[in-house]
Amino acid sequence: MFCAKCGSKLGADARFCGACGAMVAAYAPAPAVAQPVAAPPAAPYHAVRCSWCGSPLDPTATSCPGCGGNVSEMAVSTRSGWLQLPGRKDMAKLQFGQSTCQIEGLYVPVADMKLAPGDSVYFAHHVLLWKDPDIAITAMSLKGAWKRVFAGMPLIMTQAAGPGRIAFSRDAPGELIAVPIHPGQSVDVREHLFLTATGNVVYDWFQTGIWFSTKNGDETETHYPVGAFMDRFSGTQQPGLLLLHAAGNVFVRTLGPGETMLVKPTALIFKDPTVQMHLHFERPQTGFVAWGSWGNRYLWLRVVGPGRVAVQSSFEHLHGEASYMQGHSYATEMRW
Amino acid sequence: MSTPVAEPLERLQCQWCQSLNPKSALACRSCGAPLDVRNLVSESGWREAPRIRDMTEIHFSNSTCQVEGEIVPVAEINLSPGDAIFFEHHVMLWKDETVPLTLMALSGGFKRAFAGMPFLISVATGPGRIAFSRDATGELVVLPLHPGMEVDVREHAFLLSSHQIQYSFVRIEGLANILFGGQGMYMDRFVTAGSPGLLVLHGYGNVFERVLKPGESIMLEPGAFLYKDSSVTMDVEFQKLGAGFFGGTTMSLARMTGPGRVGIQSMYVHHKTE
Repeated sequence: MFCAKCGSKLGADARFCGACGAMVAAYAPAPAVAQPVAAPPAAPYHAVRCSWCGSPLDPTATSCPGCGGNVSEMAVSTRSGWLQLPGRKDMAKLQFGQSTCQIEGLYVPVADMKLAPGDSVYFAHHVLLWKDPDIAITAMSLKGAWKRVFAGMPLIMTQAAGPGRIAFSRDAPGELIAVPIHPGQSVDVREHLFLTATGNVVYDWFQTGIWFSTKNGDETETHYPVGAFMDRFSGTQQPGLLLLHAAGNVFVRTLGPGETMLVKPTALIFKDPTVQMHLHFERPQTGFVAWGSWGNRYLWLRVVGPGRVAVQSSFEHLHGEASYMQGHSYATEMRW
Repeated sequence: MSTPVAEPLERLQCQWCQSLNPKSALACRSCGAPLDVRNLVSESGWREAPRIRDMTEIHFSNSTCQVEGEIVPVAEINLSPGDAIFFEHHVMLWKDETVPLTLMALSGGFKRAFAGMPFLISVATGPGRIAFSRDATGELVVLPLHPGMEVDVREHAFLLSSHQIQYSFVRIEGLANILFGGQGMYMDRFVTAGSPGLLVLHGYGNVFERVLKPGESIMLEPGAFLYKDSSVTMDVEFQKLGAGFFGGTTMSLARMTGPGRVGIQSMYVHHKTE
């Protein structure tokens, strides 16, 4: 018997793989509580859709062609309703347009693209890992791009057009998330998570309007817990592909209209544009002056449905602790 | 006790290092690659470095190297008398008290500085145990060097090397300012003369290798370069991006031209642009 995830040899009665820790399929909690995830009755060839990205699945496929997720790990959701990003086999392959993308490696995955003639991708120039010598890279003009700075560097979007091969990775460990963008669909992504997108996905950004300012002595500082800007990626007529890089494990859920959830601001990965957000503070109802310091508050981002929200399990800490809050964007407060 | 005559017919060749192993082996004796897992090669031709199983033991000369852990793996060496290994001192994790350390005599080594420290290569001599690891998530890449091989490695990426291998370094003039902030770039060069040796590297993230045919080339982010056969040439090419209101940023890529192997790491070392 061999491990389905890493291929290591297993004992005959093993429940878990000694090399990678994966649960042996026979013992896995039947993921297929067989919720036929929105199986459209009119599509006899695609009885099942990917639980993560909604792409139709071939009955014989072991991984989703839209996002690379393992079919055997589909629809694994927590009791509270968060759907986990399906695991991905090393070398899983996705398709977009006439082009393909293979995702290689498990610590710092590489998106290795084979671009067909006429297909193109764009990316921030520092994520390029390697390319064929004859694939051309050009700068993309962006309105207002000079206002934004990516980790101290000017944001320069570059694009590469097929035919040829080009590969991308980030300079930190994490997970590579494939988000297929269907025609007419948009997603809002927290800044710095973008890796690359296909040329038929429209890129724009907007101000989040989520901020608070702190005062420390005479110094006032404004903090943006979900970033001052968010990236918005929108589909056109053809389906597109967006690749993001996130830290830790990734979970998504769909909020109903008016349904809310409090999330750590820096854990947010993406949301549908229909999902609204604002700050929420909690603190004990004591008279201590020290509780006026925001660092002692519980600072949340409230997301309000309808729409999808995705979070990552590893997140950065917010700066400005132990400073007194001076002002903030619209927020609710709860004292207990 | 059994029939040693029949055995050579049933040997398994390791797909990573080409060494021959007994048919019953689960991991390669010379490089630790699992023998019961198929090779992972991307459609674009990059082969993923083998994922060495936790606690795999690798043999070199009369000594062994055990690879422990999977996220930031440790290479634990059990040196037998007469064997020695060399390394940079910042990768030492622990050692037996009795293992003697000495410095390798290098010509010109003091001209090369690492983070303000003089560049030194230390030598540990058996018998005894000594262990090494590095400061980030990554993979150990074991390159058994057969006689006559010459490999160039990104500086500070080599974890340890056995004493049969000759060490030197080469300075690459063209890469100044791009890779190491104006100090130029050195590559470590490992050459085997008579007998085979063991070279262990640490790559950030995942490690991939491809073999370039004569004249074939590939463009790399310079921070992704990990190792190459010395027959592969490395040239830097610049491309100016965004002339308009951005003021322009220059992107540099390293053109690697075959024949020979090229190894890359997926978590590239980021170089600040000026």
